[in-house]
Amino acid sequence: MASCLQANAHKVKVGGAEIDVLYYEPDPDPETYGDFKTLVVPIKRAGNLLIVEAKIDSLTGNFVLDTGAPHLVLNATYFRDMPRISDHQSGGINGEVANTFKTEVTGFSILDLSYRRLRADVTDLSAIENGRNIKIFGLLGTRMFSKFAITVDIFQNVLYIHKLDETGAIPAAEQVYHDPYLKTSFKLMNDVIFLKGNINSTHDMWFAFDTGAEINLMDYRKSKKLAEKMEILSTSKLTGVGNNPSLQIIYARFDNLLVGDRVFMKNRVMLTNLDNMGKAYGHSVDGILGYDFFMRGIFTVNFVKKEFEMYTYKL
Amino acid sequence: MKLTRHIIIAMLLLLCGIVAYAQQSNLIAAKDELVLLIDLRSSKPNLFNVLTRAGVQGSNNTQVLKGNFSSLYNAGWKLKAKQKYVLQFTKPITVNTDRVPAKPYLITMSVKQTEGRPGYPANVAYGVNKFSRVTVWELPTGVTRFFLPGNAKARKVQLSGSFNSWTTSKGMMTKTDSGWISDIKLRPGIYAYKFIINGHWIHDTNNALSEHDGHSGFNSIYYRYNYTFKLQGETSASRVTVAGSFNKWNAGEIPLTKKSDYWQASLYLHDGMVLYRFNVDGRWVADPANPTKIKDDKGNTNSVIKLGEIATFQLNGYDDARKVCVAGSFNNWKPDNLYLKRVNDTWVSPLILTPGNYGYKFIVDGKWITDPANTCYQVEGGETNSFVAVKPNHTFRLRGYNNARTVRVTGTFNNWNEDQYIMGRKGDEWVMSMKLPEGKVLYKYIVDGNWMLDPGNKLWEPNEHNTGNSIIWVDGNN
Repeated sequence: MASCLQANAHKVKVGGAEIDVLYYEPDPDPETYGDFKTLVVPIKRAGNLLIVEAKIDSLTGNFVLDTGAPHLVLNATYFRDMPRISDHQSGGINGEVANTFKTEVTGFSILDLSYRRLRADVTDLSAIENGRNIKIFGLLGTRMFSKFAITVDIFQNVLYIHKLDETGAIPAAEQVYHDPYLKTSFKLMNDVIFLKGNINSTHDMWFAFDTGAEINLMDYRKSKKLAEKMEILSTSKLTGVGNNPSLQIIYARFDNLLVGDRVFMKNRVMLTNLDNMGKAYGHSVDGILGYDFFMRGIFTVNFVKKEFEMYTYKL
Repeated sequence: MKLTRHIIIAMLLLLCGIVAYAQQSNLIAAKDELVLLIDLRSSKPNLFNVLTRAGVQGSNNTQVLKGNFSSLYNAGWKLKAKQKYVLQFTKPITVNTDRVPAKPYLITMSVKQTEGRPGYPANVAYGVNKFSRVTVWELPTGVTRFFLPGNAKARKVQLSGSFNSWTTSKGMMTKTDSGWISDIKLRPGIYAYKFIINGHWIHDTNNALSEHDGHSGFNSIYYRYNYTFKLQGETSASRVTVAGSFNKWNAGEIPLTKKSDYWQASLYLHDGMVLYRFNVDGRWVADPANPTKIKDDKGNTNSVIKLGEIATFQLNGYDDARKVCVAGSFNNWKPDNLYLKRVNDTWVSPLILTPGNYGYKFIVDGKWITDPANTCYQVEGGETNSFVAVKPNHTFRLRGYNNARTVRVTGTFNNWNEDQYIMGRKGDEWVMSMKLPEGKVLYKYIVDGNWMLDPGNKLWEPNEHNTGNSIIWVDGNN
């Protein structure tokens, strides 16, 4: 899930490709403490969302593990009265993100991992609650794990939060899984994970890796030629999403998605217009790899070494 | 003429191509268009499948086979070409110009909405536990004890289930010399649970009842019992079972256990009226200890129990009335069915009702009246009836507004029907107790026609009218 930020456009070159980068106000890495080497956190599932319980002040609630969000995001329903650092009409693209504001949270913890001070966005997350019928306090974004590696065992529903050694690696004794099927570096831009991929050996693409996206998404214009070779599974019309009267949905399946040095087959994707999402992520984005991608295996994201690993592979 | 021939040849080639392609795929994207091919020779299920994939809704889809394409036209498809049996429809791809929201989840949530509440099993008519080793049982105090044997080396064991919002940070179990225990107060019903050992989910391996957790595992299922069938005597019988309307009279399913001079079986039974009989070595008998019996169409005598809450209907005054009845949605509004008795100065009738929301009226000597002692009303089909909730799980309250003529409450629980529920005035507030569905409930008050958020509730979320909706979360175990 992309969150929202106030930003200025900028262009940078990454791996030969030019990318629009939007900068926002720098935010120091959150200061954490906790007596553990590897924290084992049970995951709950709601649809294809990964839910982790966390405590804010004395309240415990559900948070979506969301690598598409740059930092902590709180649901306005429950945190509307938090102190405001600065108001901003963030996004504001279609008016569906009204009244997001920044706040500072003291006393946030995920089991034994505590944060002294955290910047957070407060915004309306009612769509998640209503879509999944689960009470959602917020989203856990990438910045919260900036000093760690996280491993998600999607099959056993466990999140491992690893403390790292001085080289930025998970200490050998703490590694839960070995011999990754896939190992690749990623770019962390505005705290969003970007994986370089290629489809059909012809189209290089930058994918945001978003554990909050329940469906892979791809920008139709950038994959128009690919779409003609894809198997179109279905098309339909979606009404009443945000302020949009109706959206055309095109669901497709394709083979030969290369990420790192591994090929993924039978990928399901929704073809859409990602302009606005690019703004939300702070980058132009060719596609978003979500549940259909990460459900293939146990994966580790090392935010210090900026490495993505996937163990096992399920078609 | 030449040009026409070229066009015909081109069309033929195109259609041959289409037919060949139709064998592989009947929905493709090409040149900013979606292309749909329909073979009129396809079977109805195949056609239905193709139309569903093409986003064509409607029950009269088979009309397509008869040459009526209105359902396709309504979904934005245009007929482009036609061969004898194969039709080609097209539709422009508009995703370029769609105003897509900035958050992926706004799309992905809407594509597939969650049905029901995963992890919260739907209620059932009855339930009997099945353990290979009993790990969950009721203590004499009435609380339910969950037990995980062994795991002496575990650092932390938690109990998580539908009774504690599937907590992963609370629900700590206590270590004993033989395992881990946790005591929980449960209402009768069905519950799903798992243990969490050192952060790892595990279902109860001693419990044979489970349901798929929707991913790669199972949730264990436990029924908190509320009823015990007892049959005195029959000590020489070798097998006694109970069966009834709740289990479709399956005589082989629920055996009674022999005690000193009686047989018994406990189970969970859903509220409502239950007919039952015992089966003693193949012979059906009604319950000799239960005086309430009903004869069925086949001449069998069944015993009857009514499970639920007692709701007392009371009408003061009407000293001279000859006959007072109560009728409501609980008895399909039958007028001469439930009689009130004259006790002291009032007419009363205690009824056992299934928890829920009911409209009702009294019938005094044939004249229908609302309950003069109740200011909560339910409007059904234009008719205003008195309203009562049996075993309500929430009370809506609105303080003040003394001069308001009517205050109504509406929300997701009644599909925002703004006329249905009229709140009653009690002291200095408007109130209405209701039985609400579990999970998230959105609602608003309507004071003399003006919609408003609940000023006594801090929780609200934005709505499409930019006026917000109040929120409550209804917990099943409260």
